[in-house]
Amino acid sequence: MKLKMHVSALALCASTLALGAQANAWTLEEAAKPYAGTELEVLFLDRPGYNAAIQMLPEFEAATGIKVNYTVVPYENALGEQVRDFAAGGDLDIALIDLVWIGNFAENGWVVPSETFINNAELADPALNMDDFFPLVLNAFGSWNGVNYGLPFDNYSGLLFYNRCMLEAAGFDKPPATWQEVMDTYGPALTKDGKYAYALQSKRNETQSADSFARFLWPFGGSFLNAEFKSNLLSPESQAGLQFRQDLMKFMPEGIVAYDHAETVNAFAQGDVAMITEWSAFYSTVVNPETSAVADCVEIAPEPTGPAGRKPALGGFSLAVASQADEAEQAAGWLFIQWVTSAANAGRYLEMGGVPARQSAYADPALAETFKFIPALVESWQEGVPEFRPRFAEWPSITEIVQEYGTKMMLGEVSIEEGAKTIGEQMEAVLAEAGYYDGAKPLAQ
Amino acid sequence: MAAPLQRRALWAEGLLLVAICLFCIFPFYWMVTTSLKTQVVALQSPPAWVFTPTLANYWEVLFEDKVGASLINSIIVAVCTTALAVILGTPAAYALARFEFRGKQDLWFWFITNRFVSPVVLAFPVFLISRELGLRDTHLALILMYLTFTLPIVIWICTDQFRSIPRELDEAALLEGASQWRIFRSICLPLAMPGVAVSSILSFIFSWNELLFAYILAPKAAKTAPAMAITFMEGYDVPYGKIMATSTLIVIPVLIFALIASKHLVRGLTMGAVK
Amino acid sequence: MTAHVRRKTIVAFLGPAVAALLLVGIAPLLYAVWKSLHNFNLTKQAQTKFVGLSNYAEVLTDLSFWQAMGRTATLFLISVPIQIALGLLIAIVLHRPGLTLFKTLTRLSLVLPMATTYAVVGLLAQVMLNQKYGVVNQMLGWIGIDPINFIGDPTNAFIAVIIWDIWQWTPFVALVLLAGLSTVPPEIEEAAQLETKSQWLVLRYVQLPFLIPSLVAVLILRTADTLKLFDMPFTMTRGGPGSATEFIAVLIERVGNRQFDIGLASAQAIIMLAITIFLARLYIRFFYREVN
Repeated sequence: MKLKMHVSALALCASTLALGAQANAWTLEEAAKPYAGTELEVLFLDRPGYNAAIQMLPEFEAATGIKVNYTVVPYENALGEQVRDFAAGGDLDIALIDLVWIGNFAENGWVVPSETFINNAELADPALNMDDFFPLVLNAFGSWNGVNYGLPFDNYSGLLFYNRCMLEAAGFDKPPATWQEVMDTYGPALTKDGKYAYALQSKRNETQSADSFARFLWPFGGSFLNAEFKSNLLSPESQAGLQFRQDLMKFMPEGIVAYDHAETVNAFAQGDVAMITEWSAFYSTVVNPETSAVADCVEIAPEPTGPAGRKPALGGFSLAVASQADEAEQAAGWLFIQWVTSAANAGRYLEMGGVPARQSAYADPALAETFKFIPALVESWQEGVPEFRPRFAEWPSITEIVQEYGTKMMLGEVSIEEGAKTIGEQMEAVLAEAGYYDGAKPLAQ
Repeated sequence: MAAPLQRRALWAEGLLLVAICLFCIFPFYWMVTTSLKTQVVALQSPPAWVFTPTLANYWEVLFEDKVGASLINSIIVAVCTTALAVILGTPAAYALARFEFRGKQDLWFWFITNRFVSPVVLAFPVFLISRELGLRDTHLALILMYLTFTLPIVIWICTDQFRSIPRELDEAALLEGASQWRIFRSICLPLAMPGVAVSSILSFIFSWNELLFAYILAPKAAKTAPAMAITFMEGYDVPYGKIMATSTLIVIPVLIFALIASKHLVRGLTMGAVK
Repeated sequence: MTAHVRRKTIVAFLGPAVAALLLVGIAPLLYAVWKSLHNFNLTKQAQTKFVGLSNYAEVLTDLSFWQAMGRTATLFLISVPIQIALGLLIAIVLHRPGLTLFKTLTRLSLVLPMATTYAVVGLLAQVMLNQKYGVVNQMLGWIGIDPINFIGDPTNAFIAVIIWDIWQWTPFVALVLLAGLSTVPPEIEEAAQLETKSQWLVLRYVQLPFLIPSLVAVLILRTADTLKLFDMPFTMTRGGPGSATEFIAVLIERVGNRQFDIGLASAQAIIMLAITIFLARLYIRFFYREVN
């Protein structure tokens, strides 16, 4: 909350400042003049939001003379490529930050606080309006320890995608509201004839921690860490959630531990699976008749609730200016980030398959007819947990542990309790080494 | 009585040979046909054997996805490291074949040992060193690192080759007052050309196929084709056709070279242990 | 005759190659040793400090490391004997007279798998083994076998790695053994063929002694390559599911490239290298004895 106020105050202050000083004067073209010819290096993923941005790029380049060189990498390599580039003083000018990397990038000083640019009237767009971003998203994706670095760019919430036709055929006229219903009624009714009720992407990479493991901790009242930063995975709530996931596997296709997003979305799009919990970004894939055999049957709902409420998966990327860039590149980088995430461009971004984090973009109720995910998305962004996965600098080490033992649990190689215990011990060892327990580091996640 | 039995044995042998060929070649057939499928056809279940082929995947990977540029990088790196290995390696091979000196045996072992060092051992320190020297993401970094396996190959095969050249030739030249360098350059090296050619082809193949150094040291500008191929493995969407088109483009040059050098490939892989 | 050459000449001929290998092979290795004595993480460079041998202690007591070593050894112990058995069979067939054109073609097709880019083998495996779209499962269906989940099941994924290792390296073993068979003097072989009709007896008592050097070469090289095995499992399964196909080089890459713990990864790599060199020296002493 404190952070939110801080950021809003900043934004407010910046916009009044800019409004007062040169409201009429500021244009992108004008602001970019000194930086024409600057080339920006950034990593992109091969996902709908980036493809939308790529389509919008020529317009930005024409207006500013700034060239944006994007390199497309798989998500699995994106952290490694950036860490190696920043650690080596490489040539990336803009950082692409998954919400779990923000602590890492911020603590290493690899990214510049947005304040630097917001306070610069030459660079700050008077229409920037930081308050327009969903506060949860701005906070989770782009801010660390009360300082904002990145503006939310490629934004996700976990949603329940369901196949209305399959559900109706099995006698359900609405999606499950709770996980218990999935277990008790939807699961048994929809798992038959080689079809499955549900698929949960669980591959041993970030997918295991983010989409699979954490998804069944929070709605059941569990969490990774307690208030003292010790493992909370052995708490009855965490154990119940993980046990629930294990039990639910009987309604999932076999080999679910090898399913990444592609396999899961595909199983749904081919009509082999009735329900998936996936990121909003997949909407365009599953409703496109070219890639989906069930396009007409796709409906979207918020994720089912558990005993502790909804707590849907939260994920997404912000863009931040890299501190290794020189002054012109930093300024140009900011202009690009500000432009691509702006309220003015949000509508177009949405049209082209992106998911903006601007509240104003979803104001028009008619949009929900074209983009069925909007109501569920907006609802999910009201009550998400920013530390759905802890965002501190130690996450890259911890996620590896979760990935290893999370998959081993699902494969039955270790019991739920043993697995949780091992993750807990190794996680605490990492945190101890980082200095959280001897007071060297504040307990921020 | 013996004749039908023999004929049957011959048939069995023929069938076995056909089976071996199919086993070796079928994956390539599948790779090439998949590369000619659209994504919808590639994701048909069961897989389609008959379909309308398209070159769209090749078009897309070559011109939109920068696989073309990565192939050029691969060529630059493989050719340069091979040339460098030949320039550095042939004199060394000559010395090992012709001169006697202390520690020769140890030097020999050391050269072989390089064949056993896993790239994963060197990749991280080299990454750190290359950032200090500003060699990150350059062709040069890869060219130098690939010497760790191309140089031993050249030395090994060429040493064998030099040994097979009759010594009478250089002795005669020596009597006429030619320097060792001249003998090497003008008499032995031309005669050793078959060995140089074979070891060059092998160096090229091994450099072309290398992934780990390329993946860590050359993220963008100098990215080689195998490192490019793995970037399509995004969890969001697996474009089988494009992956197989890229794979085909990578594999075809090495297969051609391998067939040219087929008689010597085994020798190269065994570092001359098997002739 | 021994060429009497001056030291300077020897240095001039060997110097550049030796210097180059020192530069690219040994210098990074020393740097790795130095880093392995540090707590060094790319994402926490501010906290870098000298920690002596504690990374080594961590590796030696790390279950994951030894499990990955065990997996690597298991792969070797299963796939190499199969490669030798099949390779020997192929070599013997190719060595027999007759069907010359056929055999030349077979020999050429044997060259293809072992030259194939290892990373591509993994990608190809992924495409062909897919449970639903994969051609291998389609073929299994023709003979009445239900689709097998190759990539998603730990045991099956391990089997898949073994199968592709066999695909890629059996031809190599076959050709090495074929080269060995051609060292058997024809007159001895012909004499033996006249004595007995049993191919087995000929193999056991006449050909085998000549095959020993080839067999040892196969063992040496397959050991080294199995310890190095990275590209194929990386592109096929990324070490999964769980840790089912996390071989030693895959594990080290993960620690260095995804946990960014270069100190620890270096210690793991050095220990692996020590094991490799130990085995290599053992083999080389044994095998290359007659070289000089």
